[in-house]
Amino acid sequence: MTTSEGGTVLIVDDDRDVVRTYRRYLETSYDVREAYDGESALAQLDESVDVVLLDRRMPGVSGGEVLDRIRDRDLGVRVAMVTAVDPDFDILGMGFDDYITKPTSHDELRATIDDLLSLSQHAEDVREYHSLLAKRAALRDGKSAHELDRNEAFADLEARIESLRSTLEAEAADYTDDARFVATLRAIDDSGEGAADG
Amino acid sequence: MAEGDARSEYPLGDALPIDVGAFDPGMNLLVSGPAMSGKRQVVFDLLAPAASTDPIVVMTTDDPAPRIHTEFEDRQSCVTPETFRIVDASGAPGDDDPTVHRVNSPADLTGMGVAFTEAVEGVGSPPRLRLGFVSISTLLQYVDAERAFSFLHVLSRRTSAAGYLGVYSLDPTTHEDRFVNVVTSIFDAVIELREEDGSREVRVRGLSGMAPEWTAFPY
Repeated sequence: MTTSEGGTVLIVDDDRDVVRTYRRYLETSYDVREAYDGESALAQLDESVDVVLLDRRMPGVSGGEVLDRIRDRDLGVRVAMVTAVDPDFDILGMGFDDYITKPTSHDELRATIDDLLSLSQHAEDVREYHSLLAKRAALRDGKSAHELDRNEAFADLEARIESLRSTLEAEAADYTDDARFVATLRAIDDSGEGAADG
Repeated sequence: MAEGDARSEYPLGDALPIDVGAFDPGMNLLVSGPAMSGKRQVVFDLLAPAASTDPIVVMTTDDPAPRIHTEFEDRQSCVTPETFRIVDASGAPGDDDPTVHRVNSPADLTGMGVAFTEAVEGVGSPPRLRLGFVSISTLLQYVDAERAFSFLHVLSRRTSAAGYLGVYSLDPTTHEDRFVNVVTSIFDAVIELREEDGSREVRVRGLSGMAPEWTAFPY
């Protein structure tokens, strides 16, 4: 994940006119990169890319194959498939986070990207929530309730936990959308290294 | 309200010796106890109390699907694909079964999520459903505490948002107290089991109007 405000978007399409149009739509709000085939898409991809717009039908390495190779690299990147027809197949099982049907509009493109960026942020927030709860549990272990009551840092921690908790609860309404639910789990799944032994 | 009503409560029948008749829609319960304390039985009893017709989805990370099937047949549940599904991440091989959605490993959190959505769709995306998860302890053998917590948080909020009942099991004696404290915060109520002098007891924390006192709970 980049810290740049708008995020970094990689546009992948073999049709250069399409790429040019998307770039025009997006470059005021995001850092934009482009690729015209699967191989160069994979070469352009690194941890600073937040969202990939991936054309499904390209000569050479297909969109589906590129997607598989992106997922293998655990980059924590969200991927929207761009397709000419409504997908009649299971985009969740394939590993896409969302899809856009061509032709798309300026507004739809940006709304999709912003959704995917907020999803990454949400997954990040869930992890942060866990780490704050763990920190609180550790502090409670070592200190008496009386000591904690008088501790300003502990009060700050409690306030952050409460604020994050209500943000997460509000956003959880989105989970009834299956694509969003699964994409959130995927964002959790590929959040860097750290699988336990076993 | 009538049985099957979308927003009505989830009766618990005689699954527990407590003074509570039903759980609110969207609640998530943790059944917590050491090995051999019968937590799995309590989870299953809460999913399939007598006379309930609620659809059931069971996610398992350890017991293979056939064993779970038997448990629900024993409870006179209707284990047809229209009302009953198992997400089996135990890794046990099995025959094709229309009620079973297989996931290679509990480490595949995305795969478990996809299988859950397929299972819910398979029972007709109903307005009421009881979800069981056995067990958090096994999940922790495959993913780190942060991922396990995040997964459980997202899954439990998914079922809450839909008005479903969620019931999860955990053996607190196999994890650090700190993890148990943190993961407990996900749940609305905790059903604790323990054994004292050879007899089993239960207490419930987090339900309003219920004093958290240990009560005899013979097997």
